[in-house]
Amino acid sequence: MNVLECKNLVKVYGKVVAVKNVSLGIGRGETKVIFGPSGSGKSTLLRCLGLLEKPTSGNIYFNNVDVYATKQDLNKLRAKIGFVFQEPSLFRHLTALRNVMLGLKHVLGYSEEESRSKAMEALRLVKMEDWANYYPAQLSGGQQQRVGIARAIAMDPEIILFDEPTAALDVELKWEVISVMKDLADRGITMLIATHELRFAKEVADEMIFMDQGEIIEIGDAEQFFTSPTTERARRFMAKLLG
Amino acid sequence: MEFSRSISLKRLTMTPIEQLTFLLRAVPITLSISLLSFLLGLTLGIIFSFIRIYGIAPLRYIADGYEKVFRSVPVLSIMFLLYFGLGGYIPIFKDSYLTSVIALGLVSGANQSQIFRSSIGSIGRSQMLAATSLGLSSFKALRHVILPQALFLAVPGLGSEIALLIKDSSYSFIIGVLELMKHTDILRAATRSLVFPYIASALIYVALTFPLATYLDKWGSKKKRELGL
Repeated sequence: MNVLECKNLVKVYGKVVAVKNVSLGIGRGETKVIFGPSGSGKSTLLRCLGLLEKPTSGNIYFNNVDVYATKQDLNKLRAKIGFVFQEPSLFRHLTALRNVMLGLKHVLGYSEEESRSKAMEALRLVKMEDWANYYPAQLSGGQQQRVGIARAIAMDPEIILFDEPTAALDVELKWEVISVMKDLADRGITMLIATHELRFAKEVADEMIFMDQGEIIEIGDAEQFFTSPTTERARRFMAKLLG
Repeated sequence: MEFSRSISLKRLTMTPIEQLTFLLRAVPITLSISLLSFLLGLTLGIIFSFIRIYGIAPLRYIADGYEKVFRSVPVLSIMFLLYFGLGGYIPIFKDSYLTSVIALGLVSGANQSQIFRSSIGSIGRSQMLAATSLGLSSFKALRHVILPQALFLAVPGLGSEIALLIKDSSYSFIIGVLELMKHTDILRAATRSLVFPYIASALIYVALTFPLATYLDKWGSKKKRELGL
């Protein structure tokens, strides 16, 4: 059964068609990777799946329930879909711990103490427990992303969407974030990850999805993309990425 | 008033300390008018700025209109309109103290709305998006994520606004509130001195406004730097 799925999803901004007719499903426990050139619609697709943008047309299903057709409470569903952003998105006026506690307390309704202990647990998972009382501005980009992941994971979501979580980081900081994501994949957490880190993708992806100009061009396993992509566009992109 | 009736008869001689003490007795009134109108302005400013940015169309136009009108009309016009115009119909405007607080608060609300709008404008959009992704309702996102950051960012501007209110509270002397300016005027009439009372009260105004505004400006800039806002 798919946790999250979209059918014929289209998202148009003004005259620009950002996502064209995309259908995609992520089953429980699966890790899928989306990659493709910048501007290929990955971010928009993820935001639509994260219920942060309303698609222009098409359907989104959460646990097989059509989200928009059945007028679901979006905030309730958003709490079950974790989202990790590319740009730094920690709440800047709150410590790492308070960032992770916010949703637990004000969305899921846990008490102060419960929120605190669950938040600490999540911070331990991303190895940031020693930094609990630091403000985002005092943390490196990689540490901030790890707290961002803790903030998503603490909500105990059914799936986590990652929108190029390492793209804004220096090379040496990327790996600490990637190792956290690997760890989550090993724990069987359902994930859809937009990333250009192909070595990482190869290790974790059950399926890789190549997008270009708002469309899914090719779907396959990592092996296939590394050795013999079937489409010309994927072949050219892989050649560029692998240098 | 006993004191002011006697002054028309003969010139009073007072030592500078006595004069200063007389002026300082008005400081609590000046400060309480300023503080209360600031709090009223803060409430209005927060509400109207959030409506202007996040509100639905008809409410947004009302907030926009409020801001435009009260930023363009002199405080004194509003004070007179409320006190002389509406005072005959609405009991609260018969009271010169409350009228002053309300007039100053309404004007300050328009200023503070603009201060908050620019503060909210400099909070990245990703903050709201991140709050939404956790499942926070718009109201909770504004309450827990946007408002606290907007407050930090607004502190220097709010410091100047308090200073402005302390100065503008002097208008209320015209409708008869016994604040610092009124005491200055009484002292001028009583001592027939045209210099000392004005210089002394000017220095008191400086002492009330300058350190506070400077401190808030520094504190706000430091917080902004520390939090990377």
